[in-house]
Amino acid sequence: MNSANEYTLRTQLERSNAVRSNIKKLYIYVVLVLIVAVFSVVKLGQVEFFGRGHFLSPDSIINLLRSAVPILTLSGAFTLLMISGYIDLSVGSAMSLSAVVFSWLILNGVSFLPAFLVTLVMGISLGFLNGLLVMKLRITPVIATLVTLNLFKGIALLIVPHGLSAIKGSATKLMPAWINDYARLDVLLGLPWAFYVAILVIVVLVIVQRKTILGKYAAAVGGNRTSAELSGINAVKLVWLLYIIVGFFAALAGMARASYMSLGDPLSGDGMELDCIIAVLLGGTAFSGGEGSVAKTIVGALIIVCLTTGLMTVIPAFWQTMAKGSVLIAAVVLNHLLVREKVKA
Amino acid sequence: METRLERKKMIGGRMSNESFITLFMIGVLVVLFGVSCAIVPRFYLPQNMINLLTNNWYIIMLGIGVTFLLITGNFDMSVGGVIAMTGVLSVWFCQDATASQNALAVGLGLPYGVAIALALLCAMGIGAINAFFIARLKVPSIIITLGTMMIARGVAQIVAQGAQRNTSLPDVFGVLGGLTIPGMSIKLSVLVMAILVVAAFVFEKKTVAGRRTYLIGANSVAARLSGVNVRRHLTSLFIISSLLAGITGILLSSEFKAGGSSRAMGYEFDALVISLLGGVSIAGGFGSVLGMFVGAVILSVVTSAATGLLLSPDWQFTIKGVVTFIAILAQRFALDKRKG
Amino acid sequence: MELTDNVLEIRDLVKDFPSVRAVNRVSFDIKRNTVHCLVGENGAGKSTLIKILTGASARSSGSILLNGEAYTPHSTRDAKQHGISTLFQELNVVDQLTVEENLTLGMEDTTLGFLRKTDKINTMVNVMNSLEPSITPRQLVSTLSVAKKQIVEIAKAVATESDIIIMDEPTAAISESEIKRLFAIIKSLREKNVTVIYISHRLDEIFELGDYVTVMRDGKHIDTRPVSEIKDRSELVKMMIGKTVFEQYTPKEGECKDAILQVRNLSNHKLRDISFEVHEGEIIGFYGLVGAGKTELARAIYGVDPYEGEILFRGKKLPPFPDKVIAAGIALVPEERRSQGLFTILTIRGNVPVMNMRKISHNGFINAGQERKVTLDYIDKLRISTSSTEKEASKLSGGNQQKVVLAKCLFADADLLMLDEPTRGIDVGAKSEIYGIIRQLSKEGKSIMIFSSELPEVVNICDTIYLLYDGRMKATLRNGCDIDSEKILHIVTGGNVTSGDRGE
Repeated sequence: MNSANEYTLRTQLERSNAVRSNIKKLYIYVVLVLIVAVFSVVKLGQVEFFGRGHFLSPDSIINLLRSAVPILTLSGAFTLLMISGYIDLSVGSAMSLSAVVFSWLILNGVSFLPAFLVTLVMGISLGFLNGLLVMKLRITPVIATLVTLNLFKGIALLIVPHGLSAIKGSATKLMPAWINDYARLDVLLGLPWAFYVAILVIVVLVIVQRKTILGKYAAAVGGNRTSAELSGINAVKLVWLLYIIVGFFAALAGMARASYMSLGDPLSGDGMELDCIIAVLLGGTAFSGGEGSVAKTIVGALIIVCLTTGLMTVIPAFWQTMAKGSVLIAAVVLNHLLVREKVKA
Repeated sequence: METRLERKKMIGGRMSNESFITLFMIGVLVVLFGVSCAIVPRFYLPQNMINLLTNNWYIIMLGIGVTFLLITGNFDMSVGGVIAMTGVLSVWFCQDATASQNALAVGLGLPYGVAIALALLCAMGIGAINAFFIARLKVPSIIITLGTMMIARGVAQIVAQGAQRNTSLPDVFGVLGGLTIPGMSIKLSVLVMAILVVAAFVFEKKTVAGRRTYLIGANSVAARLSGVNVRRHLTSLFIISSLLAGITGILLSSEFKAGGSSRAMGYEFDALVISLLGGVSIAGGFGSVLGMFVGAVILSVVTSAATGLLLSPDWQFTIKGVVTFIAILAQRFALDKRKG
Repeated sequence: MELTDNVLEIRDLVKDFPSVRAVNRVSFDIKRNTVHCLVGENGAGKSTLIKILTGASARSSGSILLNGEAYTPHSTRDAKQHGISTLFQELNVVDQLTVEENLTLGMEDTTLGFLRKTDKINTMVNVMNSLEPSITPRQLVSTLSVAKKQIVEIAKAVATESDIIIMDEPTAAISESEIKRLFAIIKSLREKNVTVIYISHRLDEIFELGDYVTVMRDGKHIDTRPVSEIKDRSELVKMMIGKTVFEQYTPKEGECKDAILQVRNLSNHKLRDISFEVHEGEIIGFYGLVGAGKTELARAIYGVDPYEGEILFRGKKLPPFPDKVIAAGIALVPEERRSQGLFTILTIRGNVPVMNMRKISHNGFINAGQERKVTLDYIDKLRISTSSTEKEASKLSGGNQQKVVLAKCLFADADLLMLDEPTRGIDVGAKSEIYGIIRQLSKEGKSIMIFSSELPEVVNICDTIYLLYDGRMKATLRNGCDIDSEKILHIVTGGNVTSGDRGE
C-alpha cells in the first residue's frame, strides 16, 4: 500500500514537473508574441497621431532590429557567464568605454579596422581585469564588477573632454561620416553590418553553448563546481575566460552603439547590465547557474527591445524607468516560478 | 578557585578582527590626511576638516542601513532611488492643490507633517518589497534592489514628469533643511546624521537586535536554530534602510526646496563604497558603523585632496574604484598577516 | 607489468590528530577483484583510513602499496588518476547535465573545442547500460534517483578503468529494491576487473556481498577474513564491539515523573508513525544507523522540518518555529557543529549567550558585564580550555567547540535538551566530560534526548533507548545490566525484531 502511494505521488510529481517544463519551454515565445500583438493593436489607433507607421510595418521592424544590435551582441556571452554561476555588472560601462575609445580613435584619424581591433583588445583587457579580480583575487563578483562598473565609467568620462557630453566632431576636427557605416548603412534588407555581425555572434554563441566543451564546462562549473573540478576542469581559468569573452562582446556592442549614434557617449551603455539580466532571467537561466540557454536569452532580449521601443511610443518618456524596474521584478518572479529547484522525485 | 587577576586576563585577550580593521583604516586615514595636508594647500584649515567630516552626511545616513545589510550578507541598491522618490513625493503631497497652469505646480495640498509621514511610508514600502523578495523568496538581493531602485526612481520621474517640482510650496517646507545649530555653522541634517550614527553604533554594539545582525551574517542556519527569526530581522533591516534613505530624501528636498527626479544618482554605490572602505565584508558577520564612518571620511579626504590637486571632478569615479579595490585587498592582506 | 595478487597492501598505517590517534598501525591486504568490506563502529577509524586512500588526508606514517608500487595520493583527483575512484555520500554528479555529458565530463574528445561523438561515448554508455539498462544517456541527471546517480558514478569509474572503487555507505539513502539492483551491479564489477572497498553499517549487506571483511575498532585493525569463514552476524558484532566494557550504567533511582514531551504518530518525508514520551529528569537515547531518521526526528520536534502528527510539550502543542520552541523550553545541539551550531567567526562570548539574550539584557540592551560573567561561568563549568572569552570559536579544538555549543544550549535554560551526535569527532577525554555534564543535568531534573549512532554512548548514559531503522521506531529498551548490545546491533542493522523485544 505504501509503495503504491509512493508510486502515485511520484507520478504526480513527474507529471507536474513535465507540465512545468513544457511551460518553461514555451512561455517565452508566448510572451514575445503577446507583447508584439499588444503593441500592434495599441499602435494601430495611434498611427495617424505619430505618423510613424504600424508596429509591424517593415520600417518599424527594421528600426527595432537596428536598436536591438547592442543587446543582441552582448547578452549571449552574458548568458554563458551566468550559466557558470557568475555575474558581470560592468558590461554597460565596458560598452560605454568602448564606444568612447572607438570614437576617440576615429576622431583622431585612425581608420576603421585598426580602431575596431584596438577597441576589441581593450574590451578583452577589461574582461581580463574582471576575471582577475573575481577569480584570482577572489573578490565577490557583485562587488568587484560593481566597482569596475564605476571605474570604466569614470575612465570613459575622463576621455571625453570636460564640459562635453560625448566625443563627436568639433570646429577643428570632424567626425568622418563613415563612422556610421557599420551600424546604419543598409547592407541587406535594410539592415546594417552591425546587425549581421550580431546574428553571427548569436549563431556562434548558440553553437558554443550547445556543441563545444566551453558551453558544457560552463554548465558543469555552475551546476556543481566540486565535481567539475574532480573531473579535471580548471574552474578558475574557465570562468576567467568567460569574463574575457564578455568583455570582448561588450566592446563589440559599444562600437555598434557608437557607430549608430556617430559619437562616443560615456553614458551610452548605462543600464545595459540590467537589460542583460532581464533577458537572461526571462530566458530561464537559473540564478545559481548550471542551466540556461543562449537562444532563449536572445528571445528575452527581443522582448526587452520590443517593450522599450513599444513603450517609448505609447507612454511618456518619464514612465520608462518605472516600466523597466517593473519588468525586472516581473522577470524575477517568472524566473522564480519556473526555475526554482525541481521537487525531488 | 580562580583569582580576580586570572579572570581579568580571560576577559582581555587579543583585540577582535573588527576593531583591528577599524584601527587599521583609522591609521590609513591619518596617513592620507597627513599626506594631503603636506601637498594640498590649505588642506589643514579647521573649516576644511569640518567639511571633510560633514559634507557627506547624506551618504553616511545611507551607509548605516547599507552597512547593517551588508553585515547580514545582503545588498541594498535601492537607497538612491528612494531618496529621489521621497523627495519628490514630499513636495507633491504638500504643494498647493488649487489649479494652476503648470501641472508640476499642482500637488495634493496636505499639511507638511502629513506629507512627510506619507512619503516616509512610501519609502518603507520599497523596503518591504525588498524584504519580501529577499527574505521570503530568497531571490539574490542585488537583483531585486536594482529593480526597486528603478521603481522608486520611476515613481519620482512620473510624479516630477522627468524634471523637478519646486513651486507653490508652503514656507514650512524649507525649514528642516535650512536649519543650522545656533552659534555654529552645522546644519540640522548633519546633526541628525551624527545622532543616527551614534544611535546605530549603540544599536550595533549594545542591543540584542544589533547582535542578531551579526549572528545572521556569521551563520544564518545556526542563527535560525538558535532561535533568531531570520526572516523578521532581515525584513526590519530592509525597512530601516529604506526609512533612513527616506529621511535623507526629506532633508535634501527641504534643503533645496525642490524634489528632483534625478537627485541622488549613484548614491547607493557611494554608500556601498564607504562600507567596504570601513571593512565591512560581504562574506557576512563582519563590519561596523564606526568603520563605515571612517570609510566615509577616507573617501572625502581622497576626493577633496584630488580636487585640491586640480583634478577635474570627472576623476571621482575612477578614484573611488581604485581606492575601493586597494582597500579591499589591503584589508584582506592585513587580516592574513595578523593570522600569521 | 606483472600483477600481484594483492591490489592494495597497507602497512603500519598511522594517522595522528592533535588529541587522538585515529588510525593505529593498521596493516592488511586487499585482494584483486574482490568485494572487500570494511566494518567498525563510528570512530573506529574507517573514514580516516578511507580519507588517506583517496588523498583527502595525509598519513602520519606507514606505507601503502598499490599494485606493488608505493602510493601517496595528494588529492582525490590524484587518487583517481592512480585508478582509485570513490563514491562519496555527497554525490559528485552535475545535476544539470545529461547522463552522457556527466559520463564524459573532463574526458571529452574534441576537435577545436567542438564536442565530438566518438566511440568513447558509446563505450561508456554501454558500460553504464550493462550495469543499468533503464538509464538513457540523454536523460538529465537531475531526473534520476539517488541510486541511479550512484550507478552513473560507478559507470564512470568503471569506464575510466579504475582498479578500485571505494563506496562509502552507498545504501544509506536508497530504497530496498534499489539496493538489490546496486548489489547485483557490485557483484558484476568483479568480472570487470574492479576491486570494491565497501563500507557499511548494515551487516546483512556484508554477508550478501562481501568476499573479505576487515574489522576495525578504536583505530586498530582487528581482523581480515574471508566472509565465508564468519559464522553469523553475532560473530561479526562481537569483533566490532570487542571486549569493551561499557562504563557502568547506574539505573535511575525513584519513580518516573510526569511526561514533559509527548510525541504521537509523527510522520514526515523520512519518519513513519513515531510515538514516545519523555519524562522529567529522564535521559532518552535514539539509536540507529546513518539515515535511520534520528536527525529528522530532532528537527521535526524543533520546528525546522514539517511533519504530521502531534507533539505536545507540557501538554501544549509545540508551534513549528525554532524561536518559539526555544522559548517554550527546548534547546537543540545540532548534528553539524560547524555549519549549524557554532558561529565560528564570532568569539566564545559572542556564541554562549545567543539562545537566551533576554537573560543578559535589559529592555533590549545587552549588559556587557553580565555577558562576560556568564561566558566565564560556562567556561569554568564546562572546562572549556581557552585563553580568553574573546577567542574566536573557529580557533578552538573540536571538543571545546562542542562544549561551546553545549554551553549555548544550557544557557537557554531549557527543560528539555536535544543532543544530536553530541560527541561526534571529539576525543575520549572531552567525551567523558560531556557525559558527566549530561548526567549532572539529569540529576538537576532536566530531560535529555540523545540522538546518536554510537552504541556505547547510548548504552552508557541513557535510561531508555529507542531503536530507529529506516524512519521507523523498531524497539524500546529499558537500560539496565541486562542490556544486550548484540541484539541492539541486530535490530538497527535491519534484523528482525523478535516478539520479546517490543513493548515495555
